[in-house]
Amino acid sequence: MRLSVRDRGESVATLRWIHVRLMETLAAWVPTTPEMEVKLLFGAHIWDVAQHADALGKRTFELRMPLQHSLEPNDPYKQLLAELAQVTDTSQRIAGFYDGVLVALANRYRSYLSVTDSLLDAPTVRIFEHVASEQARMIREAHELVAQLPALAANDGAAKQFVERESALETFVAPRAEPATVGAS
Amino acid sequence: MPYDASETMDVRGVTLRRDPAREACFVIAHHETEVRSERNYDSVGAVRSMLHREYNNETQNAEIAAQTLVDFPDAPWELRMQLARQVWDETRHARMFLRRVIAMGGKKGESPIKNGDWAIVCMIDTLPGRLLVQHRLFEGGVMDSFRQVGKGFRDNGDDETADMLDTILADEIQHVRFANHWLREFAKQPRAVMQMANALTFVSNVFKALTPKPGETSIDGVDLAAVDHAIQINIEDRQRAGFTEAELADLIHRDATENLSQLGS
Repeated sequence: MRLSVRDRGESVATLRWIHVRLMETLAAWVPTTPEMEVKLLFGAHIWDVAQHADALGKRTFELRMPLQHSLEPNDPYKQLLAELAQVTDTSQRIAGFYDGVLVALANRYRSYLSVTDSLLDAPTVRIFEHVASEQARMIREAHELVAQLPALAANDGAAKQFVERESALETFVAPRAEPATVGAS
Repeated sequence: MPYDASETMDVRGVTLRRDPAREACFVIAHHETEVRSERNYDSVGAVRSMLHREYNNETQNAEIAAQTLVDFPDAPWELRMQLARQVWDETRHARMFLRRVIAMGGKKGESPIKNGDWAIVCMIDTLPGRLLVQHRLFEGGVMDSFRQVGKGFRDNGDDETADMLDTILADEIQHVRFANHWLREFAKQPRAVMQMANALTFVSNVFKALTPKPGETSIDGVDLAAVDHAIQINIEDRQRAGFTEAELADLIHRDATENLSQLGS
């Protein structure tokens, strides 16, 4: 399968939407998570995810879209993220975010990198590789914290279920006839 | 953005935002009479209490910036990026303070904490108002106090804490600077100016209601009404943070006037 410029733009813009939503999810969890170490970890990772969204948003401009352009993902993907945002238990938040959504995103980057032309789409490849590396570090930091505070270890069933449900979706990109015009947020 | 009763609390007749989540190890206070206030660089207990208080203050700053990301999703992306960066900065500051507390033999939750900044700032439901109060007023004040407190630690031979405060102060300049930039942008709109004025009126009323009354003391016996709150304006860092010469002149004039009125009272 060869990805067109539009295909690449839609993937990148949709991933930007997802990263903005993840930034907002962590931001909502910072005041509502009692455990200070976890609160501070979520806070630190807000900046990481914001930078990932920003890098994706700069790339959209290079793919014939507005700067910092976002496209909503398809409904099932939005539903998954909405459910994650509603989690209140700290250990489930950690598991759902790091072992759920970030692991699932890593799979998505790998899938994209396996089909895109690494020369034609080199700037996107660089961004995805960088984001994947950063998010692997975020997962590692979360695991290190849980190792220090074993009470935060969750049954990994919810995270596994998230990854399974996410991977059952063929794509996160919503079908659209014409390029949408959702502005930066 | 009206808040329902479950999100607010009453403190001495003022409606404030309910506390952010804290672990059971913390005792949550809501007024200066319920926390330690002694500022004595020769007392390990007092120093640890000061640092523990700042640990919670920096955590609050992270929470306020995070909540601002949540409450204002339509803010310009550049501002949201700056707020996201600020959250990270504040989390590192919190960790630095706790590290010093632990190095001095203390621990998380060892003295009562107060989430006053959160309680006030997160009642303000406009972005210009919130930036004005949190960044320009509160964090601007921190630029003054941290320089003074840092000097106190340095004069008492604690260079490690003084260096930490100076590092944090450098970060705070960025936070005040980006807020000043956006406030000047927002001030081009009359509605935003009204929102800033409303926020200042709200904060002024809260301060009036919460100011300790004569005879009130902190839990460590400090006569709160007698505390000298005079802090020298940190002109150099405020200049770096985007305060104009005229604004600094106003601050210095107000500072001098308040000092004179305190001398006369």
